[in-house]
Amino acid sequence: MADARRYFDDIQVGEEYESPGRTVTEADIVLFAGLSGDYNVLHTDAEFMKQSIFGERIAHGLLGLAIQAGLFTRATQGFATLAFVGLRWKFKGPIKIGDTIRLRAKVAAKQETSKPDRGLVTVERTVVNQRGEVVQEGETDLMVERRRA
Amino acid sequence: MSVAAPRFYFEDVVLQGVLETPAMTVTEAHVALYAGLTGDAAHEHGLVPDLLPLCLTTGLGWRVPQPPLAVLAFMGFEWMVDSPLRVGDTIHSRSKTTLKRSMKEGGVIIEERQVINQRGEVVQHGKFTFLVAKRPA
Repeated sequence: MADARRYFDDIQVGEEYESPGRTVTEADIVLFAGLSGDYNVLHTDAEFMKQSIFGERIAHGLLGLAIQAGLFTRATQGFATLAFVGLRWKFKGPIKIGDTIRLRAKVAAKQETSKPDRGLVTVERTVVNQRGEVVQEGETDLMVERRRA
Repeated sequence: MSVAAPRFYFEDVVLQGVLETPAMTVTEAHVALYAGLTGDAAHEHGLVPDLLPLCLTTGLGWRVPQPPLAVLAFMGFEWMVDSPLRVGDTIHSRSKTTLKRSMKEGGVIIEERQVINQRGEVVQHGKFTFLVAKRPA
């Protein structure tokens, strides 16, 4: 079977991708609280949050981050990723129950490394809600395999 | 009489104070739940998706002998993956506040956090920025 993954050599700086939308539900937040053990009132106490600046429970910031990572795999053909190297991330606004988020991503930079079989790809990512507001944004660095000569 | 759950406010945060969490073993069940919930998966079978240990450390951070931080907002963070984690590895985290800046509404703190495996190796590390509430007058 042909290898459908995209290698360092195939990826071009400036390429842009947009994912399908995903509606973040109460179930997502409850499951994430259970999985992570993060039961902060921000995410779990509807009554407390009525009095907060948000007016209701909000999704864990890291849930939004993890969902965009999943959306990335649906936005473009998979990269031949060897490793996730790191990220720089900002939380700009809340994701509330029922919000629909999507990922806009752009290849910002490619960098060769000391190893000839791999290269570093930096992807700029913006998570937007149904009103087009940016709720999260940042950059991720991925180590991607090169095609064998 | 009711007693409010204790919270750890900006004034309570000790600069350079180190907090070490209990440990937990990352299992196939964590990986499956995480993958089903987020659609994010590991690059290779048997590995743990890179963002999962980060998510688990937030819960571990609640299991320390100190009330939870009165976070108003998680503003951002930087994170580095130093080496891959395998299913069956046991992780804990160590964190330290390296900056406290008082603001009009609350205060900003920067926390450095490491995820450490059963051999004492740092597998992931980074810096978190939180906006934290001040103690109500």
